[in-house]
Amino acid sequence: MSSSNNTLGIKRISASPDPPPGIQQGPEFSKLVDISRCIGCKGCEVACKEWNELGIEPTENFGSFQSHRDLSSDTWLLMRFTESEIDGDLQWLIKKDACLHCEEPGCLYACPAPGAIVQYQNGIVDFNQDNCIGCQLCVSGCPFDIPRLNPETKTVFKCNMCIDRVEAGLEPACVKTCPTGAILWGTKQDMVSSAEKKVEGLKKRGLKNATLYDPPGVGGTHMMYIVPHGNHLEEYDLPADPTASPMALKSLQEFKKLGPWSIWIGILGIILHYIGFGPEEPLDEMSFSDHE
Amino acid sequence: MNSQRIPRFTFSERVIHWAVGASFVFLLVTGLAFSHPRLYWLTYLVGGGSTARALHPLVGILFSVSLILMFFVWLKDMGLDSQDRKWLKAIMHYIKHDRDKVPEAGKYNAGQKVFFWSMSLLGLLYLITGVIMWKPEGILGLGPFYGSIVNFMRLVHYLVTVVGGLLLIVHVYLGTAAYPGTLGGMLHGSVTQSWAALHHPRWRRDKRSP
Repeated sequence: MSSSNNTLGIKRISASPDPPPGIQQGPEFSKLVDISRCIGCKGCEVACKEWNELGIEPTENFGSFQSHRDLSSDTWLLMRFTESEIDGDLQWLIKKDACLHCEEPGCLYACPAPGAIVQYQNGIVDFNQDNCIGCQLCVSGCPFDIPRLNPETKTVFKCNMCIDRVEAGLEPACVKTCPTGAILWGTKQDMVSSAEKKVEGLKKRGLKNATLYDPPGVGGTHMMYIVPHGNHLEEYDLPADPTASPMALKSLQEFKKLGPWSIWIGILGIILHYIGFGPEEPLDEMSFSDHE
Repeated sequence: MNSQRIPRFTFSERVIHWAVGASFVFLLVTGLAFSHPRLYWLTYLVGGGSTARALHPLVGILFSVSLILMFFVWLKDMGLDSQDRKWLKAIMHYIKHDRDKVPEAGKYNAGQKVFFWSMSLLGLLYLITGVIMWKPEGILGLGPFYGSIVNFMRLVHYLVTVVGGLLLIVHVYLGTAAYPGTLGGMLHGSVTQSWAALHHPRWRRDKRSP
């Protein structure tokens, strides 16, 4: 269910032709995940489940340190671990896989159900399951493959950035619990400048390709990563150039402007034909009976 | 005079036709609802957004099955021959009701045949794109389908609907207001002598002298 009733903070609403009601001018927040500081304890996964009271799913040993194979409607946060050889050394790549809360939310743009997805002025993108129709077009619209359908409720779920905590002035649960300070929380501006310093620090330590992941194709995100091996984004499972408006959906939007017109022109055409040429009545049936 | 009516469509042909027609209209209404926020209210005609989302693919299966049956039942009469090519060249005369300049049609005129083949092609595209959008997580051992594929399917599904919607408008117009006596053939299966003489003279002659 929606965790927020903050109408005044709404910046975008899915499938709504009307202007959103948000008039508030508060700060934009962001998480900053410093992968170089993560020790892989998965405490954030537990905190996420605990705060949001999500169902426990059995873990499975599939030859990885990872707790589950994939995100689910009950697992909004999954630490992904990938072993990879970089510059001749074995590297253990870690990714905190959860909603990035894009500034340009592909899920929201793709959603056909009014009010099922809202974006708040503070940067949080939240799903309202009471308006969700379970079509999963948000999953296809998301460049990060985050939302997951709950097969029983037939609605889609994902990280809501602990919106209830944020509105009470608290940090999200994963931030609160992280023992190494690998997940930071603050205004987007502060997090970007803090990230720049941290990236510089990593570069001095010899990680020449360290980078801040805040992809412009989605307008930047409200969960950013500091990636130690920034030239190996794909191996972290981070798309190098994600976009909120892929070509197919952009074209669809354009065709949707033309589609109704072509239907109206069709209707106009048959009206004009009817007026111009009228119905074509068969001859009097009697003339056939007479002859034959 | 009733005895002189010519049987045109069998009971099963009519049932199949109306199964295709009714399911297509249902799909069009629910599909339009998803296509634009201002049309979302159309979902309430069938019980709300979630219900429309759940029913749309199921009715889509009904549509596909009916259309496949229709395809095989009518296929033998739908081949385009040289007469049909002449008919298509004379289509402007047909539109203007200049019957003298339009080649005589058999059981189906070339326009109807083109409509048949168009709907069959659109139906195939509907089925492929629709199934992928229905279960992006995978179905029948296929999938999961990635976002880029589903997004492309959305585009095709929409374009097919624009064409299909236009075809439906023309089809319904020609079958009712434009050509009185046509609808009856599809409702109770038979047409009058005069209707057949006007629209399908070759077919009428064949019927009379087997």
